[in-house]
Amino acid sequence: MPGKARLIVVRGDEAMGEGLSYLLQATEHVAGREADQIPFPSDTWLSPIHANFLYRGDRLVVRDEGSLNGVYIRARGATPIQIGDHFICGQQLFRVDATPRDTSGPEADQTYFYSSPRRPSAFRVTQVLEGGMDGIVCCANERTVEIGREECDINFPDDVHMSPRHARIEMSGDTLELVDAGSQNGTFLRIRGERDLNHGDYLFLGRNLLRVEVTA
Amino acid sequence: MIVCSRCSKENQDHYKFCLGCGAELPRESSKPRSFSAPTPPGGSSSVGTGTKPPRPMQAAEAVAAVDPVAAAAIQTDPTPVQAVRSEPAAAALPPELAPLGEETAPCTNCGAQVPENFRFCHVCGHDLHAAPPTNGRADAPEERVSAPAVAAAPQPSAARARVVLIQPDGSEGEGFPLGDGATLIGRGTGGIFANDAYLSPEHAEFRFEGDQLVVKDMESLNGIYVRVEPDVPIELFDGSVFRVGQEILRFEAPAAPDPAPDGTQLMGSPYRGFLGRICLVIGRETTGSCFPIPSQGIHLGRERGDVVFPEDGYVSGLHCRIHSEVGHIFLTDLGSSNGTFVRVLNESFVPKGTFVLMGQQLFRADY
Repeated sequence: MPGKARLIVVRGDEAMGEGLSYLLQATEHVAGREADQIPFPSDTWLSPIHANFLYRGDRLVVRDEGSLNGVYIRARGATPIQIGDHFICGQQLFRVDATPRDTSGPEADQTYFYSSPRRPSAFRVTQVLEGGMDGIVCCANERTVEIGREECDINFPDDVHMSPRHARIEMSGDTLELVDAGSQNGTFLRIRGERDLNHGDYLFLGRNLLRVEVTA
Repeated sequence: MIVCSRCSKENQDHYKFCLGCGAELPRESSKPRSFSAPTPPGGSSSVGTGTKPPRPMQAAEAVAAVDPVAAAAIQTDPTPVQAVRSEPAAAALPPELAPLGEETAPCTNCGAQVPENFRFCHVCGHDLHAAPPTNGRADAPEERVSAPAVAAAPQPSAARARVVLIQPDGSEGEGFPLGDGATLIGRGTGGIFANDAYLSPEHAEFRFEGDQLVVKDMESLNGIYVRVEPDVPIELFDGSVFRVGQEILRFEAPAAPDPAPDGTQLMGSPYRGFLGRICLVIGRETTGSCFPIPSQGIHLGRERGDVVFPEDGYVSGLHCRIHSEVGHIFLTDLGSSNGTFVRVLNESFVPKGTFVLMGQQLFRADY
């Protein structure tokens, strides 16, 4: 249903200016650093061809075109996630990792390994730094990791885009959930493959924050 | 391994409480299980508040014991040391841990009766497989037999230095003499080292270089840690390991960012002059929580600092710091009660009176 939706750049590429909007009039609309339809030439976090906004019948979907850094959609409330998923809170990027296998058993010669005290932990949250290095690693205190500006398990007092209590990762049963705690600026989950878009959805492509408006 | 009778989880031998359900695990001793500490844990944490199984004989606890005030607090429960040290004996023993048998022979150097399965004398460290010092003849046994009478009195050259066990109550335990030559110690050398399952069979070698005592790590599993002087910065390198209270931490230098071939950069959290990370060591190649070090450095403590360990009573309120100077990274103990220990990389000088952690015991090098 071409022409039904538009994308609004809420915060983004300096060269293109904020407040720019793209009416999605064709069937497919490619976004990327070197894309013709939705170009973001100065954002080095975008792959040359990054994502595609396309109509499937009356649905609008976004598809990750195998980009390096992925497409993130604002996740409201509780969203099921998997080990290996990436998400954004404020200016921070995180990855959810499995608790590694215990490698502290005794040697064949019966020497015991002397480790720091280990606490039961269902999973861990790793901060991913610009450039790809790992930063903070926070092992879940039992089954939860809470992220925010203060008094959480991981705190970012200097991140003005982070709410005091922003989001948490919870293991309930065998299921991991990303729960946005009503944050001001939202929690964004990296999509796998493609996903439907609805009116009012927010996306991050690199440093660009986009809003979806469905007009029809 | 202790299998919890309530939930069947397997726990390490030194744990007092089950990691699975928190139930108290069976001990050999029925003494109270108070987890006395020089400074009681408190405050809130960014590390987590899960229950921590206290470790029976902590290096830091033992160091704390040197401080009379700290020792008073710790004295209330010296039991765990006994419990842990006796545990390995309860299991099937590897040959080098077997009790001293009847089969002994006198040491050709100091005359002590040494079990025949020992390669080195457990009193003076003499290499019993070495050729006899006085002649090269192969039929040395006669000389061995006569040695005890001659060498009954300790000779100055045979005990130039001692490593003295520092007990949890702060008192000195047994000493182990170090001769002029190389002295190998480990679980296999017996004596005060015999029952420490955290010592490798051949763990460390001491020798003198001029007036200085040197310790060499014999590729042991758990290493040798030397206490650093307060307020003296020690340089950290990628992979340096140090110990603060019960926590074993590894420093990781930052890796260079790696842009994709098409010019796309890896997205991530803002990264400003990060000096590296410190990571809790929880397995051979496994780390737990990690903490990046911003350009201004970080402080570590139980109550204060950027990285806090509120559950570790052997960490001082403010314990140590890591900072950068002229492009190098330094660790400095801030006068902590229990000290900051750095793992020896291959070899290290051991100044007079220095505290050394090996296995789960604390020693002082006297010479």
